[in-house]
Amino acid sequence: MKNAYLWLAQLVTGILVAVTLGIHMVWMHLDNILSALGIDANEPTSWSSMIQRSRDIVWATLYIALLAFVLYHALYGLRNILFELVQSRGIRRAVTWGILAFGILAFAWGTYVPVILLIK
Amino acid sequence: MKELSSKNITFKIRRYNPEKSNKTHFATFVVPTTRGMTVLDALLYIKENLDSTLAFRTSCRMAICGSCGMLINKYPHLACHTQIEELKTKTVTVEPLPNLPVIKDLVVDLSPLFEKHKLVKPYIIRADRPEMDNPTAEFAQSPEELESFLQFTYCVKCGICISACPTSATDKQFLGPQALAQCYRYCTDSRDDGERERFLLADSENGIWHCHLAGACSDACPKGVDPALAIQLLKRQLVARATNLLGKRELTPLVTPPVHSKPKLPFPQFTVNDKTDAREG
Repeated sequence: MKNAYLWLAQLVTGILVAVTLGIHMVWMHLDNILSALGIDANEPTSWSSMIQRSRDIVWATLYIALLAFVLYHALYGLRNILFELVQSRGIRRAVTWGILAFGILAFAWGTYVPVILLIK
Repeated sequence: MKELSSKNITFKIRRYNPEKSNKTHFATFVVPTTRGMTVLDALLYIKENLDSTLAFRTSCRMAICGSCGMLINKYPHLACHTQIEELKTKTVTVEPLPNLPVIKDLVVDLSPLFEKHKLVKPYIIRADRPEMDNPTAEFAQSPEELESFLQFTYCVKCGICISACPTSATDKQFLGPQALAQCYRYCTDSRDDGERERFLLADSENGIWHCHLAGACSDACPKGVDPALAIQLLKRQLVARATNLLGKRELTPLVTPPVHSKPKLPFPQFTVNDKTDAREG
Protein backbone atom coordinates (compact mmCIF):
# COMPACT_ATOMS: atom_id res chain seq x y z
CA MET A 1 0.00 0.00 0.00
CA LYS A 2 3.05 2.29 -0.30
CA ASN A 3 1.73 3.98 -3.43
CA ALA A 4 -1.63 4.63 -1.75
CA TYR A 5 0.14 6.64 0.98
CA LEU A 6 2.21 8.54 -1.60
CA TRP A 7 -0.92 9.46 -3.57
CA LEU A 8 -2.83 10.43 -0.42
CA ALA A 9 0.09 12.66 0.56
CA GLN A 10 -0.16 14.38 -2.82
CA LEU A 11 -3.85 15.06 -2.24
CA VAL A 12 -3.20 16.41 1.25
CA THR A 13 -0.25 18.57 0.12
CA GLY A 14 -2.44 19.90 -2.71
CA ILE A 15 -4.94 21.19 -0.16
CA LEU A 16 -2.18 22.52 2.09
CA VAL A 17 -0.54 24.33 -0.84
CA ALA A 18 -3.87 26.03 -1.58
CA VAL A 19 -4.12 27.15 2.07
CA THR A 20 -0.51 28.29 2.64
CA LEU A 21 -0.12 29.82 -0.82
CA GLY A 22 -3.49 31.52 -0.32
CA ILE A 23 -2.24 33.16 2.88
CA HIS A 24 0.95 34.25 1.09
CA MET A 25 -0.93 35.68 -1.91
CA VAL A 26 -3.48 37.53 0.21
CA TRP A 27 -0.73 39.04 2.40
CA MET A 28 1.45 40.05 -0.54
CA HIS A 29 -1.13 41.38 -2.97
CA LEU A 30 -4.30 42.30 -1.09
CA ASP A 31 -2.66 44.61 1.49
CA ASN A 32 -5.17 47.38 0.67
CA ILE A 33 -8.08 45.13 1.60
CA LEU A 34 -6.21 43.93 4.69
CA SER A 35 -5.60 47.53 5.83
CA ALA A 36 -9.32 48.27 5.30
CA LEU A 37 -9.99 45.35 7.66
CA GLY A 38 -7.61 46.85 10.19
CA ILE A 39 -4.65 44.53 9.49
CA ASP A 40 -1.36 46.31 8.77
CA ALA A 41 0.65 44.34 6.20
CA ASN A 42 3.45 46.95 6.36
CA GLU A 43 4.29 47.24 2.63
CA PRO A 44 4.62 43.46 2.20
CA THR A 45 6.67 43.52 -1.03
CA SER A 46 9.44 45.73 0.41
CA TRP A 47 12.85 44.21 1.29
CA SER A 48 12.68 45.20 4.95
CA SER A 49 9.20 43.72 5.36
CA MET A 50 10.33 40.47 3.72
CA ILE A 51 13.35 40.19 6.06
CA GLN A 52 11.12 41.01 9.02
CA ARG A 53 8.72 38.21 8.07
CA SER A 54 11.58 35.77 7.62
CA ARG A 55 12.74 36.50 11.19
CA ASP A 56 9.23 35.82 12.50
CA ILE A 57 8.89 32.19 13.57
CA VAL A 58 5.25 31.89 12.37
CA TRP A 59 5.96 33.35 8.92
CA ALA A 60 9.20 31.39 8.53
CA THR A 61 7.40 28.15 9.45
CA LEU A 62 4.63 28.97 6.98
CA TYR A 63 7.11 29.56 4.14
CA ILE A 64 9.17 26.47 4.93
CA ALA A 65 5.97 24.41 5.07
CA LEU A 66 4.79 25.92 1.76
CA LEU A 67 8.10 24.99 0.14
CA ALA A 68 7.88 21.42 1.47
CA PHE A 69 4.27 20.99 0.30
CA VAL A 70 4.96 22.45 -3.17
CA LEU A 71 8.09 20.34 -3.63
CA TYR A 72 6.36 17.10 -2.65
CA HIS A 73 3.24 17.82 -4.71
CA ALA A 74 5.10 18.85 -7.85
CA LEU A 75 7.89 16.27 -7.71
CA TYR A 76 5.51 13.36 -7.08
CA GLY A 77 3.51 14.52 -10.12
CA LEU A 78 6.70 14.80 -12.17
CA ARG A 79 7.71 11.28 -11.08
CA ASN A 80 4.35 9.94 -12.29
CA ILE A 81 4.78 11.64 -15.68
CA LEU A 82 8.33 10.31 -16.04
CA PHE A 83 7.17 6.80 -15.05
CA GLU A 84 4.78 6.86 -17.99
CA LEU A 85 7.68 7.51 -20.34
CA VAL A 86 10.11 4.91 -18.97
CA GLN A 87 9.12 1.30 -18.48
CA SER A 88 12.41 -0.12 -17.17
CA ARG A 89 12.34 -0.89 -13.45
CA GLY A 90 15.98 0.21 -13.03
CA ILE A 91 15.44 3.56 -14.72
CA ARG A 92 12.28 4.10 -12.67
CA ARG A 93 14.28 3.50 -9.49
CA ALA A 94 16.92 5.97 -10.71
CA VAL A 95 14.14 8.51 -11.45
CA THR A 96 12.79 8.11 -7.90
CA TRP A 97 16.22 8.61 -6.31
CA GLY A 98 17.06 11.49 -8.64
CA ILE A 99 13.80 13.29 -7.82
CA LEU A 100 14.26 12.62 -4.09
CA ALA A 101 17.80 14.04 -4.20
CA PHE A 102 16.62 17.07 -6.18
CA GLY A 103 13.77 17.64 -3.70
CA ILE A 104 16.10 17.50 -0.69
CA LEU A 105 18.60 19.87 -2.36
CA ALA A 106 15.88 22.32 -3.37
CA PHE A 107 14.39 22.21 0.13
CA ALA A 108 17.79 22.83 1.74
CA TRP A 109 18.50 25.69 -0.65
CA GLY A 110 15.06 27.24 -0.15
CA THR A 111 15.10 27.02 3.63
CA TYR A 112 18.69 28.26 3.99
CA VAL A 113 17.82 31.99 4.13
CA PRO A 114 14.92 31.84 6.63
CA VAL A 115 16.83 29.40 8.84
CA ILE A 116 19.93 31.65 8.91
CA LEU A 117 17.74 34.72 9.58
CA LEU A 118 15.96 32.88 12.41
CA ILE A 119 19.25 31.80 14.02
CA LYS A 120 21.05 35.16 13.71
CA MET B 1 -43.48 2.39 -50.14
CA LYS B 2 -41.18 5.38 -50.45
CA GLU B 3 -37.67 4.46 -51.59
CA LEU B 4 -34.87 5.52 -49.20
CA SER B 5 -32.65 8.16 -50.79
CA SER B 6 -29.05 7.06 -51.32
CA LYS B 7 -26.01 9.26 -50.76
CA ASN B 8 -22.48 8.47 -51.85
CA ILE B 9 -19.98 8.66 -49.00
CA THR B 10 -16.22 8.29 -49.45
CA PHE B 11 -14.56 5.87 -47.05
CA LYS B 12 -10.84 6.29 -46.42
CA ILE B 13 -9.65 3.09 -44.79
CA ARG B 14 -6.17 2.58 -43.39
CA ARG B 15 -4.81 -0.63 -44.89
CA TYR B 16 -1.97 -2.71 -43.50
CA ASN B 17 -0.77 -6.09 -44.64
CA PRO B 18 2.46 -7.18 -42.92
CA GLU B 19 2.91 -9.97 -45.49
CA LYS B 20 3.30 -7.36 -48.25
CA SER B 21 4.70 -4.25 -46.59
CA ASN B 22 5.40 -2.82 -43.15
CA LYS B 23 3.94 0.51 -44.21
CA THR B 24 0.30 1.49 -43.97
CA HIS B 25 -1.66 3.36 -46.61
CA PHE B 26 -5.17 4.70 -47.09
CA ALA B 27 -7.51 3.03 -49.57
CA THR B 28 -10.52 5.00 -50.80
CA PHE B 29 -13.94 3.50 -51.51
CA VAL B 30 -17.18 5.19 -52.50
CA VAL B 31 -20.17 3.59 -50.80
CA PRO B 32 -23.85 4.32 -51.56
CA THR B 33 -25.37 4.87 -48.12
CA THR B 34 -28.94 5.11 -46.94
CA ARG B 35 -30.50 6.46 -43.77
CA GLY B 36 -29.75 4.31 -40.70
CA MET B 37 -26.78 2.58 -42.35
CA THR B 38 -23.90 1.98 -39.97
CA VAL B 39 -20.16 2.13 -40.61
CA LEU B 40 -20.13 -1.65 -40.23
CA ASP B 41 -22.76 -1.96 -42.99
CA ALA B 42 -20.50 0.15 -45.21
CA LEU B 43 -17.48 -2.04 -44.42
CA LEU B 44 -19.53 -5.16 -45.23
CA TYR B 45 -20.60 -3.49 -48.49
CA ILE B 46 -16.97 -2.80 -49.38
CA LYS B 47 -15.95 -6.37 -48.54
CA GLU B 48 -18.81 -7.89 -50.56
CA ASN B 49 -18.71 -5.54 -53.57
CA LEU B 50 -15.47 -3.57 -53.82
CA ASP B 51 -12.54 -5.30 -52.09
CA SER B 52 -12.86 -8.75 -50.54
CA THR B 53 -9.36 -8.52 -49.02
CA LEU B 54 -10.40 -5.88 -46.47
CA ALA B 55 -9.95 -7.30 -42.97
CA PHE B 56 -12.07 -6.31 -39.98
CA ARG B 57 -13.68 -8.05 -37.02
CA THR B 58 -17.43 -8.27 -36.61
CA SER B 59 -19.94 -10.56 -35.04
CA CYS B 60 -23.20 -9.48 -33.37
CA ARG B 61 -23.94 -6.20 -35.23
CA MET B 62 -25.73 -4.87 -32.13
CA ALA B 63 -22.99 -3.54 -29.79
CA ILE B 64 -22.94 -6.63 -27.62
CA CYS B 65 -19.88 -8.60 -28.71
CA GLY B 66 -17.40 -5.71 -28.78
CA SER B 67 -15.64 -7.02 -31.91
CA CYS B 68 -15.87 -4.03 -34.25
CA GLY B 69 -14.07 -1.34 -32.26
CA MET B 70 -12.22 1.00 -34.63
CA LEU B 71 -11.14 4.60 -35.03
CA ILE B 72 -13.85 6.35 -37.02
CA ASN B 73 -13.11 9.95 -37.97
CA LYS B 74 -10.28 9.96 -35.38
CA TYR B 75 -12.56 8.83 -32.54
CA PRO B 76 -12.89 5.27 -31.20
CA HIS B 77 -16.33 3.78 -31.84
CA LEU B 78 -18.02 0.45 -32.40
CA ALA B 79 -18.62 0.37 -36.15
CA CYS B 80 -21.99 -1.34 -35.67
CA HIS B 81 -23.06 1.36 -33.20
CA THR B 82 -22.16 4.33 -35.40
CA GLN B 83 -24.56 5.49 -38.06
CA ILE B 84 -22.88 7.14 -41.04
CA GLU B 85 -25.45 9.94 -41.03
CA GLU B 86 -24.62 11.01 -37.47
CA LEU B 87 -20.98 11.62 -38.45
CA LYS B 88 -22.18 14.49 -40.70
CA THR B 89 -19.18 14.23 -43.06
CA LYS B 90 -18.88 13.36 -46.74
CA THR B 91 -15.66 11.45 -46.07
CA VAL B 92 -15.40 8.88 -43.32
CA THR B 93 -11.94 7.84 -42.17
CA VAL B 94 -11.67 4.38 -40.64
CA GLU B 95 -8.50 3.24 -38.88
CA PRO B 96 -7.60 0.44 -36.46
CA LEU B 97 -7.82 1.19 -32.72
CA PRO B 98 -4.70 2.95 -31.44
CA ASN B 99 -2.66 1.74 -28.42
CA LEU B 100 -3.08 -1.89 -29.56
CA PRO B 101 -0.91 -3.83 -32.02
CA VAL B 102 -2.40 -4.09 -35.52
CA ILE B 103 -2.66 -7.55 -37.09
CA LYS B 104 -4.11 -6.57 -40.47
CA ASP B 105 -6.11 -3.59 -41.79
CA LEU B 106 -8.68 -2.84 -39.05
CA VAL B 107 -7.99 -5.94 -36.96
CA VAL B 108 -6.08 -5.25 -33.76
CA ASP B 109 -4.56 -7.73 -31.36
CA LEU B 110 -6.69 -7.60 -28.20
CA SER B 111 -4.45 -9.97 -26.23
CA PRO B 112 -2.85 -7.14 -24.14
CA LEU B 113 -6.40 -6.26 -23.01
CA PHE B 114 -7.26 -9.86 -22.13
CA GLU B 115 -3.91 -10.44 -20.38
CA LYS B 116 -4.42 -7.39 -18.16
CA HIS B 117 -8.04 -8.37 -17.60
CA LYS B 118 -6.91 -11.81 -16.42
CA LEU B 119 -4.36 -10.24 -14.06
CA VAL B 120 -7.07 -8.58 -11.96
CA LYS B 121 -8.73 -11.99 -11.37
CA PRO B 122 -12.15 -11.14 -12.80
CA TYR B 123 -14.11 -13.72 -10.84
CA ILE B 124 -15.52 -14.11 -7.34
CA ILE B 125 -12.84 -15.06 -4.82
CA ARG B 126 -14.00 -16.29 -1.42
CA ALA B 127 -12.13 -17.13 1.76
CA ASP B 128 -14.39 -20.15 2.28
CA ARG B 129 -12.95 -22.22 -0.53
CA PRO B 130 -14.82 -25.49 0.31
CA GLU B 131 -18.12 -23.58 0.08
CA MET B 132 -17.05 -22.21 -3.33
CA ASP B 133 -16.25 -25.70 -4.61
CA ASN B 134 -19.27 -27.45 -3.11
CA PRO B 135 -21.91 -24.83 -2.39
CA THR B 136 -24.45 -25.66 0.29
CA ALA B 137 -26.32 -22.38 0.13
CA GLU B 138 -26.70 -19.17 -1.89
CA PHE B 139 -24.62 -15.99 -1.57
CA ALA B 140 -27.27 -13.40 -0.83
CA GLN B 141 -26.98 -9.98 -2.46
CA SER B 142 -29.43 -7.11 -2.11
CA PRO B 143 -30.48 -5.01 -5.13
CA GLU B 144 -28.59 -2.04 -3.58
CA GLU B 145 -25.40 -4.09 -3.37
CA LEU B 146 -25.84 -5.14 -6.98
CA GLU B 147 -26.46 -1.52 -8.03
CA SER B 148 -23.10 -0.45 -6.57
CA PHE B 149 -21.19 -2.22 -9.35
CA LEU B 150 -23.84 -3.12 -11.95
CA GLN B 151 -22.81 -0.59 -14.64
CA PHE B 152 -19.26 -2.01 -14.69
CA THR B 153 -20.60 -5.45 -15.58
CA TYR B 154 -21.76 -4.05 -18.95
CA CYS B 155 -18.17 -3.97 -20.26
CA VAL B 156 -17.94 -5.84 -23.60
CA LYS B 157 -14.11 -5.83 -23.70
CA CYS B 158 -13.96 -4.00 -27.02
CA GLY B 159 -10.73 -2.15 -26.16
CA ILE B 160 -12.17 1.28 -26.97
CA CYS B 161 -11.40 2.68 -23.49
CA ILE B 162 -7.76 1.59 -23.82
CA SER B 163 -7.46 3.20 -27.24
CA ALA B 164 -8.92 6.45 -25.87
CA CYS B 165 -6.73 6.49 -22.73
CA PRO B 166 -3.77 8.93 -22.93
CA THR B 167 -1.87 7.01 -20.24
CA SER B 168 -2.19 3.72 -22.15
CA ALA B 169 -0.79 5.57 -25.19
CA THR B 170 2.49 6.35 -23.43
CA ASP B 171 2.77 3.55 -20.86
CA LYS B 172 2.25 0.10 -22.37
CA GLN B 173 2.54 -1.53 -18.93
CA PHE B 174 -0.31 0.53 -17.47
CA LEU B 175 -3.14 -1.81 -16.49
CA GLY B 176 -5.61 0.41 -18.32
CA PRO B 177 -9.18 1.53 -17.68
CA GLN B 178 -10.80 -1.79 -18.63
CA ALA B 179 -8.86 -3.95 -16.17
CA LEU B 180 -8.99 -1.37 -13.38
CA ALA B 181 -12.76 -0.94 -13.77
CA GLN B 182 -13.16 -4.71 -13.54
CA CYS B 183 -10.87 -4.72 -10.51
CA TYR B 184 -13.28 -2.28 -8.85
CA ARG B 185 -16.30 -4.27 -10.05
CA TYR B 186 -15.13 -7.44 -8.29
CA CYS B 187 -13.70 -5.71 -5.20
CA THR B 188 -17.08 -3.99 -4.67
CA ASP B 189 -19.08 -7.17 -5.13
CA SER B 190 -20.46 -8.04 -1.68
CA ARG B 191 -19.89 -11.75 -2.35
CA ASP B 192 -16.19 -11.28 -3.08
CA ASP B 193 -13.27 -11.48 -0.66
CA GLY B 194 -10.38 -11.10 -3.10
CA GLU B 195 -9.58 -7.42 -2.70
CA ARG B 196 -6.28 -8.13 -0.92
CA GLU B 197 -4.99 -10.01 -3.99
CA ARG B 198 -6.31 -7.42 -6.45
CA PHE B 199 -5.18 -4.41 -4.42
CA LEU B 200 -1.56 -5.60 -4.64
CA LEU B 201 -1.80 -5.25 -8.41
CA ALA B 202 -3.87 -2.05 -8.42
CA ASP B 203 -1.41 -0.41 -6.00
CA SER B 204 1.62 -1.36 -8.14
CA GLU B 205 3.74 1.02 -10.23
CA ASN B 206 1.68 0.18 -13.33
CA GLY B 207 -1.58 0.37 -11.49
CA ILE B 208 -4.21 2.85 -10.53
CA TRP B 209 -2.01 5.80 -9.55
CA HIS B 210 -0.99 6.41 -13.15
CA CYS B 211 -4.51 7.44 -14.12
CA HIS B 212 -4.66 11.22 -14.24
CA LEU B 213 -8.40 11.35 -14.78
CA ALA B 214 -8.54 12.52 -18.37
CA GLY B 215 -11.95 10.80 -18.51
CA ALA B 216 -11.46 9.84 -22.17
CA CYS B 217 -12.29 6.19 -21.38
CA SER B 218 -15.72 7.05 -19.99
CA ASP B 219 -16.38 9.46 -22.83
CA ALA B 220 -15.60 6.85 -25.48
CA CYS B 221 -17.21 3.76 -23.92
CA PRO B 222 -20.04 2.62 -26.25
CA LYS B 223 -21.81 0.79 -23.41
CA GLY B 224 -22.08 3.78 -21.07
CA VAL B 225 -19.66 2.27 -18.56
CA ASP B 226 -17.72 4.87 -16.58
CA PRO B 227 -14.23 3.38 -16.02
CA ALA B 228 -12.86 6.75 -14.84
CA LEU B 229 -15.39 6.69 -12.02
CA ALA B 230 -14.43 3.11 -11.14
CA ILE B 231 -10.77 4.12 -10.99
CA GLN B 232 -11.52 7.06 -8.69
CA LEU B 233 -13.67 4.86 -6.44
CA LEU B 234 -10.94 2.21 -6.42
CA LYS B 235 -8.41 4.87 -5.36
CA ARG B 236 -10.73 5.74 -2.49
CA GLN B 237 -11.02 2.06 -1.51
CA LEU B 238 -7.24 1.62 -1.59
CA VAL B 239 -6.61 4.70 0.56
CA ALA B 240 -9.36 3.65 2.97
CA ARG B 241 -7.81 0.18 3.31
CA ALA B 242 -4.28 1.57 3.68
CA THR B 243 -5.34 4.01 6.40
CA ASN B 244 -7.88 1.54 7.83
CA LEU B 245 -10.61 4.17 7.72
CA LEU B 246 -13.41 1.84 6.68
CA GLY B 247 -12.50 -1.06 8.94
CA LYS B 248 -12.98 -4.65 7.87
CA ARG B 249 -15.57 -5.34 5.20
CA GLU B 250 -18.23 -7.87 6.06
CA LEU B 251 -18.77 -10.60 3.52
CA THR B 252 -22.25 -11.43 2.43
CA PRO B 253 -23.73 -14.27 4.50
CA LEU B 254 -24.73 -17.59 3.15
CA VAL B 255 -28.47 -17.98 2.86
CA THR B 256 -30.05 -21.38 2.73
CA PRO B 257 -32.36 -21.63 -0.27
CA PRO B 258 -36.06 -22.10 0.55
CA VAL B 259 -36.83 -25.72 1.37
CA HIS B 260 -40.51 -25.67 0.43
CA SER B 261 -40.42 -24.69 -3.18
CA LYS B 262 -43.42 -24.95 -5.45
CA PRO B 263 -44.24 -28.50 -6.46
CA LYS B 264 -42.81 -29.47 -9.79
CA LEU B 265 -45.20 -29.85 -12.67
CA PRO B 266 -45.83 -33.44 -13.68
CA PHE B 267 -44.13 -34.57 -16.85
CA PRO B 268 -46.58 -34.06 -19.73
CA GLN B 269 -48.24 -37.05 -21.27
CA PHE B 270 -47.15 -37.88 -24.81
CA THR B 271 -49.89 -37.26 -27.31
CA VAL B 272 -48.62 -40.29 -29.19
CA ASN B 273 -47.67 -43.06 -26.78
CA ASP B 274 -44.81 -44.69 -28.66
CA LYS B 275 -43.83 -45.76 -32.13
CA THR B 276 -45.42 -49.20 -31.81
CA ASP B 277 -48.73 -47.80 -30.60
CA ALA B 278 -48.70 -45.21 -33.31
CA ARG B 279 -48.04 -47.82 -35.96
CA GLU B 280 -50.78 -50.07 -34.61
CA GLY B 281 -53.24 -47.21 -34.27
